Amino acid sequence: MAEPILKVNSVTKCFGGLTAVDDVSFNVAKGEIVGLIGPNGAGKTTLFNVISGYYAPTKGNVIFEGNDISGKPPYHLAGVGIGRTFQVVKPFAGLTVLENVTIASFLKHPKKADAVRHAWQVLETTGLADRANVSAAGLTLAGRKRLEISKALALEPSFLLLDEVVAGLNPTEADRTVELIMKLKAQGLTILIVEHIMRVIMNISDRLVVLNFGKKIAEGTPSEVSSDPHVVQAYFGEEAA
Amino acid sequence: MKNRGATVLAILVAALLILPLVVHDTFVLRVLTEGVMWIGLAIAFDVIAGYTGYLNFGHGAFFGIGAYTIGILMMQANLPFWAALPLGGVAAAVVALIAGIPTLRLKGAYFAIATWALSRAIQQLALNVEFTGGPDGMRLDAFLNPQFFYYLMLITVGGTFAILWYLLERAPFGLKLKAIREDEEGAKALGLNPTKLKMQSFILSALPTGILGGIYAYWITFIDPSSTLGDLVSDQAVVMVVFGGMGTLFGPALGAILIFAFKTLFWAYLSDFQLLYLIILGALIAISVIFIPNGLWGTMFKRKADAARPQHQTEPASEPAALSAVAAPEEGN
Ligand SMILES: Nc1ncnc2c1ncn2[C@@H]1O[C@H](COP(=O)(O)OP(=O)(O)OP(=O)(O)O)[C@@H](O)[C@H]1O
Ligand SMILES: [Mg+2]
Repeated sequence: MAEPILKVNSVTKCFGGLTAVDDVSFNVAKGEIVGLIGPNGAGKTTLFNVISGYYAPTKGNVIFEGNDISGKPPYHLAGVGIGRTFQVVKPFAGLTVLENVTIASFLKHPKKADAVRHAWQVLETTGLADRANVSAAGLTLAGRKRLEISKALALEPSFLLLDEVVAGLNPTEADRTVELIMKLKAQGLTILIVEHIMRVIMNISDRLVVLNFGKKIAEGTPSEVSSDPHVVQAYFGEEAA
Repeated sequence: MKNRGATVLAILVAALLILPLVVHDTFVLRVLTEGVMWIGLAIAFDVIAGYTGYLNFGHGAFFGIGAYTIGILMMQANLPFWAALPLGGVAAAVVALIAGIPTLRLKGAYFAIATWALSRAIQQLALNVEFTGGPDGMRLDAFLNPQFFYYLMLITVGGTFAILWYLLERAPFGLKLKAIREDEEGAKALGLNPTKLKMQSFILSALPTGILGGIYAYWITFIDPSSTLGDLVSDQAVVMVVFGGMGTLFGPALGAILIFAFKTLFWAYLSDFQLLYLIILGALIAISVIFIPNGLWGTMFKRKADAARPQHQTEPASEPAALSAVAAPEEGN
């Protein structure tokens, strides 16, 4: 395996009495797509929030490119190359699509004209260029999910966290997003992706990490994981196991 | 459209510059000077309120702090006006820095209430300490030259407008502030530090306000806690900005001109009904918020973005998962 870009070491995150992420460890290698799956409430988004700096882990740490980043603020992590999307999309609703992406472009392009030019390029890649001057509030769900990806990409990250960017899209839109993700992988981006749609996650992931009730219950290639009895039990319940 | 706007602006500036050469009536010049001052107060207020989304109900405190700083430095430290004036801006900026640390963590109504309470505390302080003259206020050496104050106000406000225009409409800073306004948590993921940006915005709002307070003090030659530290400065700034159009510079300027003109006429002809003026001011805020949420300017020059907004589109149905055992994801968590 290539050298890991991300190491999650025994990360635990508690909210009061609730342990949302429970002693989870795994690595992500450079250039890999790792799928993070698990039933609703398994702790996937919480783990994303720990990795991207929104929460400090209660225990354990996160190493990114050799540096301990646990507890560093999100704006710092954006600067070192971690881009993320939000499951509950966070468009700047009162601004245009182009302005939304331009704001992210400022990270690597401090001059406004350069940032705008770069934002246009990103919108071309993600297929939102024809919506550039539309208010972000006026986008459909598919558009808003695409905007999430566009903003994360405008940071020119080396590592991308995608939280349910396909869920809720119709099959055509879903295929376009999958195509985009594969294109990004081809460009060398490392991706950790949360997705419920099995057809998608099984196809695009090199490896899968499975969470259930905050704990990692399996890790491996898609075919290994889908035949793992723990995973089957988590998804199908007691009787099926 | 853009060229026509520039032409209108150029004519307006030229007219403002030659006005005192044509108008010799002191009262008219005085009204114009104050009108220009209100444009400055409104655009400075809009930096934190409109662009950043933090409604500062204590904006008047910065004005009063500037006024008192100049008064105290000139009368008690015998500093010349030109040395004291920038320090008025600095004093307001320092207070913004200190007040911003606790208050800028608050959101929405809580920030508005906290800044309002702080400004009341500052007014009480000015009433109760000796070096401000307490409730009796403070008299400054009179420099009676209406032209001088008109031009000083015009240059200060014009300069403030130009700098804010560059920072907020041309440089990245304005868009970054709007990102904070729209979604602070989301902005963090894009490399923006909200604490730092909000503080910069608050200071940028306070600094020119303090300078304007200083010019006002020297011009009017008398300041007291109710005229410079009272609610009216904050309240009027809020009305001007909300009515004119938040998050722009021309909106608050337009709002300032219209509200100030109305105030001047009202006080000239209906000065017995001061309470009515406040009632109308309050009603105007309510009406603007309900009927023209983008303000006059925003409504007149509706953004292309909104015009191009697509009709309501039906949300695409979620794709049936290949493994039916996996529950279809809900939006939200
Ligand atoms: N800020 C919070 N405060 C308290 N509890 C939280 C918080 N965020 C998440 N939780 C809880 O932590 C658990 C894990 O939630 P999380 O959102 O990480 O799940 P998820 O795997 O992303 O689920 P989904 O597939 O529904 O998105 C849930 O029980 C949730 O209610
Ligand atoms: Mg989630």
